[in-house]
Amino acid sequence: MLQAIADGLLTGAIIALGAIGLTLTMGILRFANFAHAEMMTWGAYMALGVLTLFGLPTAPFGPLTFGWPLLVATLVAAGLTVALALLIDRLVFRPLRGRVGHLTLVFASFGVALLVRNVVLLMFGGRATYYSNELQMSVEVMDGLRVMPDQIFVFCFALVLAGAVYLFLQKTPLGLAMRAVSENPSLAGVCGIRLGKVVMWTWIVGGSLAAVAGVLYGVTVQLRPEIGFHLLLPLFAAAILGGVGNVVGAVIGGLLIGLIESLSVLVIPSGYKLAIPFLVLLVVLFVRPSGLFRGTSGGR
Amino acid sequence: MLGIALYLVFFLIVVTIYAILVMGLNLQWGFTGLFNAGVVAFYAIGAYGTAILIGPERPELIGGFELPFALGLLGGAALAALAGLVVALATLRLREEYLAIATFGIAITVQLVALNFDALTGGANGLIGLPRPMFGYFETPNLYNVCYLVAVLAIAGAVYALLERAVRSPWGRVLRAIREDATAARSLGKNPTAIRLQAFILGSGIMGLAGGLYVGFIGFVSPIDFLPILTFQIWAMLIVGGSGNNKGAVLGVLVVWGLWTISGTLISQVVPPSLQSQAGAGQAIIIGLVIVLTLLFRPRGLIGEESVVSKHVRAARVARDNPSSS
Amino acid sequence: MTRLRLTHLAAAAALCAFGLPAGAMAQDCEHPIGAVLSLSGSMAAIGSAIGDAGQLAVDHMNEAGGLLGCKAAYRLRDDQGQPSIGVDAAKSLVEIEGVEALLGAIQSGITMPILTAVTVPEKVTQISCCSSAPSFTQLAREGGTEGYFFRTLPTVRPQGFVMAALAKERGYGKTAVIYVNSDYGLSLAKAFQEGVEAGGGSVAVMVPYNQEQASYRAEVTEALRSDPDSLFLVAFPADGATAMREWISLGGAQNLLLSNALRASEFVEAVGAKYLTKAVGIDNAQVAGPSVDAFNISWEEVFGEKPNGPGLHTMYDAAAVALLAAEAAGTYEGTAIRDKVREITGPGGQVVHPGAEGFKLAKEVLAGGGKITYVGATGPIVFDEFGDVTGPYLIWGVGEDGSLTTVDTWSVEKVSELMAKNAK
Repeated sequence: MLQAIADGLLTGAIIALGAIGLTLTMGILRFANFAHAEMMTWGAYMALGVLTLFGLPTAPFGPLTFGWPLLVATLVAAGLTVALALLIDRLVFRPLRGRVGHLTLVFASFGVALLVRNVVLLMFGGRATYYSNELQMSVEVMDGLRVMPDQIFVFCFALVLAGAVYLFLQKTPLGLAMRAVSENPSLAGVCGIRLGKVVMWTWIVGGSLAAVAGVLYGVTVQLRPEIGFHLLLPLFAAAILGGVGNVVGAVIGGLLIGLIESLSVLVIPSGYKLAIPFLVLLVVLFVRPSGLFRGTSGGR
Repeated sequence: MLGIALYLVFFLIVVTIYAILVMGLNLQWGFTGLFNAGVVAFYAIGAYGTAILIGPERPELIGGFELPFALGLLGGAALAALAGLVVALATLRLREEYLAIATFGIAITVQLVALNFDALTGGANGLIGLPRPMFGYFETPNLYNVCYLVAVLAIAGAVYALLERAVRSPWGRVLRAIREDATAARSLGKNPTAIRLQAFILGSGIMGLAGGLYVGFIGFVSPIDFLPILTFQIWAMLIVGGSGNNKGAVLGVLVVWGLWTISGTLISQVVPPSLQSQAGAGQAIIIGLVIVLTLLFRPRGLIGEESVVSKHVRAARVARDNPSSS
Repeated sequence: MTRLRLTHLAAAAALCAFGLPAGAMAQDCEHPIGAVLSLSGSMAAIGSAIGDAGQLAVDHMNEAGGLLGCKAAYRLRDDQGQPSIGVDAAKSLVEIEGVEALLGAIQSGITMPILTAVTVPEKVTQISCCSSAPSFTQLAREGGTEGYFFRTLPTVRPQGFVMAALAKERGYGKTAVIYVNSDYGLSLAKAFQEGVEAGGGSVAVMVPYNQEQASYRAEVTEALRSDPDSLFLVAFPADGATAMREWISLGGAQNLLLSNALRASEFVEAVGAKYLTKAVGIDNAQVAGPSVDAFNISWEEVFGEKPNGPGLHTMYDAAAVALLAAEAAGTYEGTAIRDKVREITGPGGQVVHPGAEGFKLAKEVLAGGGKITYVGATGPIVFDEFGDVTGPYLIWGVGEDGSLTTVDTWSVEKVSELMAKNAK
């Protein structure tokens, strides 16, 4: 039980980071981006690429399995992920935006997801890999609860990052502009907010968070080209559960989804675990489609 | 020569089954504008539904009702339609893309159930020894294949005729009206949600029908028949042929499936073995590119949507395609 | 197709009449040997090497003078890991290329539809190197294969019993089983459970996992909850490494039993050899012996490395059995091949081994009206009435340096004895 809660919160923290970006895209750009989870895959693999390409050592910090090289690699990976997101926006989404119904955008993102996943597969192969092959032993914190030092780091890091994003949206002019567009695009336009700039920053924030989430996922579990594909449903569930466009909601939604998924294993066979986010989603859509928290008008 | 002809019969059976599947999708996307990201789920439900209804009884299985094939086929289609109903009820009154997300979810769920619910689906082993309808009445298997092709073609023809009739009926015109502008349709006193729901369920049932026909043809069903990539393949078929047009949909099946099977053979002969593990990724990239590029540069596909009911509508469409403001 | 075959025969007969040497006449006509394997898709990592093993057998046959006076032509097709593609490839091989003996596929979910939709209806002999599902045995028992299906990979059932015996021998009383949720994993895990229960014990818990997930923490936690003293892991190397890493880091016992698919350096490297020194695993065949050496040596000659991947030995044997059965049948025709398969592998004939030399000897004996017993790259092959083989096993361990060592071997007799004891 305790173990399931701890594991659930950890996975939930990673889902939360991914869901922040997704909820922003759904709120501001107003379409469900199926390619968002693939940004996590891309980011995770870019960090791996940086590590192997430059032969960076994996000198670990204290009890952790990684050290500053991975942090550097993560920064580079975040940059590369943002670049990819902007490139896709430029080549695919922008030409379609406004010209066709927004479902076509959803469809295009569905195709883009397949593309990104398979480009990663082509570049890195399908094998499961790790940033560090060193196996970390878990520590028994109390009876029936074992955690790895990496997990604690990942959990705290994810929460700090989510907090930073929240402050950014609340306190900076740019964040306010993003929220304004999310609330009411026409009004925001009237008030002189440049939509192009807001769109760009949405991709920058979403892309870099996705990259970090991907790396953190890779640290605690492993790297595979399918990680994004498997996380897509939990991300959507978290974003909708938390109220589309609501960043705090996405974080809480992510933690909840992680917890429910993890606890479900106590009741139903673990083989069905991947379907749990879908069931939660269905329940939310039937019972409280607006999510637990107030979403933005874009998320109506 | 005879060999090639016999192979072509076989090939065409698969093409026709996929054509039915694509027509079901066309009703949802092409005519109604509903995005189904889990085509494979409805196909799988139809296939498993049929298999469970017609399969031989075995002590370790819940299913095995040994029903006649026609009943099994209808049952499979009905189950797929039912799944469509559940998903559509949850999402259609909400944001449009929730349907996309939910269908994506049902695809993953169906895959898991197929794999894990041993007592119903046979788990990873699948369901074996399923009777092929009237197989014993034919002297040679190839003669049987020819007849099965005729039967499948007849069913495809019936689906085609039904859909053509439906979309030209007042109901079909409402469908398109809703796709173009739901608010306007509502102001004219139409209930968009109910009509979308009908179209989605009918489309799902047609997909289930295709699944049942596949089972009748192969006599076996297992989870790897329903990999996620199939959804993308079916979408590529529809979008290449041109959504909103059933002729185009069928043409798209021929082109995409033909190229796919040929490219597999070509790749295995041309690409060195060391690189072949990447060849699958290459093919998937091509499918992805086909989808994205068609959306960008040729949104109407090879044939495109058929011309319109009245010249006023055409004028309206020209205006929509060349928006002066957005 | 029939006409094609007649022409071949006619050409062969004509050449024979002119008394040309075997080597010279082998170029004028072709007998296509089909193979459908996953060269791309999820099994691609092992598929192309398996394809090479089939090619090697065909090359050896041609070196030995060809098949029935013609050249044996290897026609390899990719199923992309998708059944519908595999079935299409098989159909085109049979109808267009005129294949009468088809090798493959790898995954049971592809082998099965090829069997039911193509090879059985068309009366083509199908031999799989790698499909382990028990459903083939069941289908054969129901008469659904009409005897056209064989596989050179021993069924996993005896493996489970041997592992159960091993667990008992080592004093593990409470073994958790984590297994891959596939036909292979399910049947092996169930057999192990049956074996343990037949020995008076019981397994602690049976936990299936779905393939290609990034984490199996939930499954491992579930297994650990029953407080087991050992683990039987039934998995493929990549997923197996993930599960094993989580098992070890969550404090699971290092009394490990490993399935045959885990005998791969990929697995040992990913987990770390130091955690695996107490582990024992099982694997098919490759017991030492001249016939196994013959294959290993010729593989190394051609490819410059040891044949260590899964499915290589069994694929070579699948191809060799198909070729020799056709040669013994005297005609390239599916039903005739089917009827000769048991004869050329059964006891009492001139023993022949893999390699061009062995095939040459086989051809000479058969030409003289004699009988052969093919002892293959996996040792002796005895097909039962359902087309299954029982093989010998080896028990392997992991050295400090990560090398794979052989701890023990189980001969076919010893395995049969164990199975007979359990049948009671």
